[in-house]
Amino acid sequence: MSLSVRLHHRFPSIEIDVAFDTPSPGVTVLFGPSGAGKSTIIAAAAGLLRADECRVAVDGRLLSDTASGTWLAPERRRVGLVFQDARLFPHMSVATNLRFGLRRAPDGRVLFDEVVALLGIEALLDRRPHTLSGGERQRVAIGRALLAQPHLLLMDEPLASLDAARKVEIMPYLIRLKTALNLPVLYVTHALDEVARLADSIVLIEAGRLLASGSAAEISARADLPLARRDDTGALLPCRIASHDTDRELTLLEGGGAAFWVPLLDSPQGSPCRIRIPAREVILAGKPPDAISLHNIVSGTVRRIIADPTRRSVLVEVGLADGALLSRVTQDAIARLALSPRKPVLALIKSTSIEVLAG
Amino acid sequence: MPFSSNAASRLNNLLLSPEEWEAVRLTLVVAARAVGCGLPLAVLTAWVLTRYRFPGRPVMNALVHLPLVLPPVVTGWLLLIIFGIRGPIGSLLYDWFGVRLVFTTAGASLACAVMTFPLMVRAVRLSLEAVDPGLEQAAQTLGAGRFDRLINVTLPLASPGILVGAIVAYATSLGEFGAVITFAANIPGQTQTLPLAIFTALQVPGGEAKAAELSLVSVVLALIGLLLSEWANKRLNAVLGR
Amino acid sequence: MRFLLALFVLLAPIAARAQQLTVFAAASLTDAMKDVSTQWTQAGHPPLRLSFGSSSTLALQIEHGAPANLFASADEKWMDYLAGKNLIAADTRKDLLGNDLVLVVAADHPQHVTIGPGFILLAMLGPDGRLATGDPAHVPVGIYAEQSLKKLDLWDAVAPRLARAADVRSALLLVERGEAPAGIVYATDAAVSKAVMVAGTFPANTHDPVAYPFAVTKTGDTADARALLTFLVGPEARAIFVKRGFKVE
Repeated sequence: MSLSVRLHHRFPSIEIDVAFDTPSPGVTVLFGPSGAGKSTIIAAAAGLLRADECRVAVDGRLLSDTASGTWLAPERRRVGLVFQDARLFPHMSVATNLRFGLRRAPDGRVLFDEVVALLGIEALLDRRPHTLSGGERQRVAIGRALLAQPHLLLMDEPLASLDAARKVEIMPYLIRLKTALNLPVLYVTHALDEVARLADSIVLIEAGRLLASGSAAEISARADLPLARRDDTGALLPCRIASHDTDRELTLLEGGGAAFWVPLLDSPQGSPCRIRIPAREVILAGKPPDAISLHNIVSGTVRRIIADPTRRSVLVEVGLADGALLSRVTQDAIARLALSPRKPVLALIKSTSIEVLAG
Repeated sequence: MPFSSNAASRLNNLLLSPEEWEAVRLTLVVAARAVGCGLPLAVLTAWVLTRYRFPGRPVMNALVHLPLVLPPVVTGWLLLIIFGIRGPIGSLLYDWFGVRLVFTTAGASLACAVMTFPLMVRAVRLSLEAVDPGLEQAAQTLGAGRFDRLINVTLPLASPGILVGAIVAYATSLGEFGAVITFAANIPGQTQTLPLAIFTALQVPGGEAKAAELSLVSVVLALIGLLLSEWANKRLNAVLGR
Repeated sequence: MRFLLALFVLLAPIAARAQQLTVFAAASLTDAMKDVSTQWTQAGHPPLRLSFGSSSTLALQIEHGAPANLFASADEKWMDYLAGKNLIAADTRKDLLGNDLVLVVAADHPQHVTIGPGFILLAMLGPDGRLATGDPAHVPVGIYAEQSLKKLDLWDAVAPRLARAADVRSALLLVERGEAPAGIVYATDAAVSKAVMVAGTFPANTHDPVAYPFAVTKTGDTADARALLTFLVGPEARAIFVKRGFKVE
């Protein structure tokens, strides 16, 4: 099952030309700088924009196709849209807002009580939108979109207008949604930590063009993309909790074909999770070090070495058995270790540097 | 109880004569019908003018505003030409439904509705244009079609402006003279609204006192209307979260 | 030289306005007075400013300061009203014209009736038709109509069936448009309109004589105004009035 998007549209100042297919269900993050064209893609998928050339299909169901003349009006697409500014109807209560789409949708599996519980908005049901905080409004907006029984959920920078505290507050709900729903989601953001927490696939857009598209693990470990030049860049690896060592207060995670020790986690054995390994925390070595505090010494192979002139450093893609890591080191380090593609190398990572994110 | 009803009717007579109460009643009926029939059409017209682009749009806009720029007597005369028994529409009304408008309360209501139509359309247009199109987009993505959005999103949000249109139409109808007297003529009990009664009183020497009385009643009616609209406006804004 | 010319051009309108005369005349005099005005202008005078309406309305406007030089009423009552308030130059008052009161119907539904006591007026109106005439409360033609109908024993039956117009021309319009099956107007009004015909004439003894007193107003009493009045009494004006159907004293 997949979400398939082809779009070509000319604006006065920019031309958008992208094509990508991502697996469905799952969260596909559209990532890129402002003005790259991400919101245009969302608008075209929702039917709010009639593009010059466009083909959007969800699990084989055509929403629009200029070639064959197919075009479903937004109200018939069963595509939910969560806007940056919530857009709750001010003249209706929260409950009536939530039921707005539900009333107009044919029967579906998304139930009112479940959504309300999932988003933690029971206490807000009789309130009016203007009495809610920004985070509460967005949660209601998400609930409203879900209750319309969509086949595809679009989220256009839903957290952009919230302050840091509200973002932290709402993130657990988004993660819960991800696991509870069986929907394709197209999520637009330019915040990397939202990508880290939510993305199953990543589509990189810049200046109206597609730079890359693939799974989160794949894209996050590539040294050649603009994504890698960010300060906080790092590989995302899907993992599973292999075992807990309560005496040593450590947990062993398995992912990417390697094993990682992290400080003890609460989740049970076997639960899935995701780890983010910041590139600046990955030290490279030619041979295993002696008497050193870190727990993770992972063997891999150098895949690519790409210079990052803006930071006077170099990015190294370290291939693992079933995945990859990114490491940021200096050019000097490369010379000293005489690293080059296809050479074996060890990646050293402190257990406390690995960020464990919910599955 | 015979005594108290006697006292009540004497009090009534002290305030106004039966003919004058008739004029008051008629004025309220005419104003209510003018607003009641004119407002839905004004909302529809404002909607069409705001949301659609079509070749005849400037012409339609000009026609809507015609009663504002023509002298009321001319508007009344045009109504006579069109809705009179020999007019294109009036003859159809008579042949199909047996309905005559001239000399009737319905005719006076029509005259007031026409005179106040441009004001209602303007007020509604302003408030329609102020409705956030983003909310209508949101409604679209939630499965609401055009008419659904109009009824459930646009009109409720535009309701304060629609209320303004209604109140302006009501207040204007209370004072409309030229079009009513030309189209519906001056018939006590049928078309003699307060403005016509005041005019007649002024034409008769010594009628100034009566005219002043009736003017005062007019003012009171207008004030009541305005106060009611203030209250309604507050309630609406509370519902809309403003 | 050019300066003088410019000055003249600038001042001429002011000068002309100073001599322009304003005439307030009863609505039934509309066409006749327009013809007279044309003659007056052709004789070299500045054009007249004519204001037509119900004599009642005009009299009250004069009472409240409207700047008329000449007032022509359709009945004595309203001229008496102004005389009583000392608003006319009493020595200029002249009864100039007379008129007949007629019953009119739409020209495409011709009828002829003999107007006498209890004549078939109600039948002419049908079950819900109205009789159009000026408001008997104040408009002269309505006042005359009431007098006649009372004399003919028809007032009580007809009074609730009246369509009270603001002046005689509005009443005429209602009959022309077929809104009212019949109307009571002056013979001169019926003559003007092709859309109505005279069904019958009210006998002169059923109402006060329809008189048209003319007078110069106190505030508008100028040599030019008096000259206009003299012209109105003169042979050229008389010919116009006669042509229009008025009875001339």
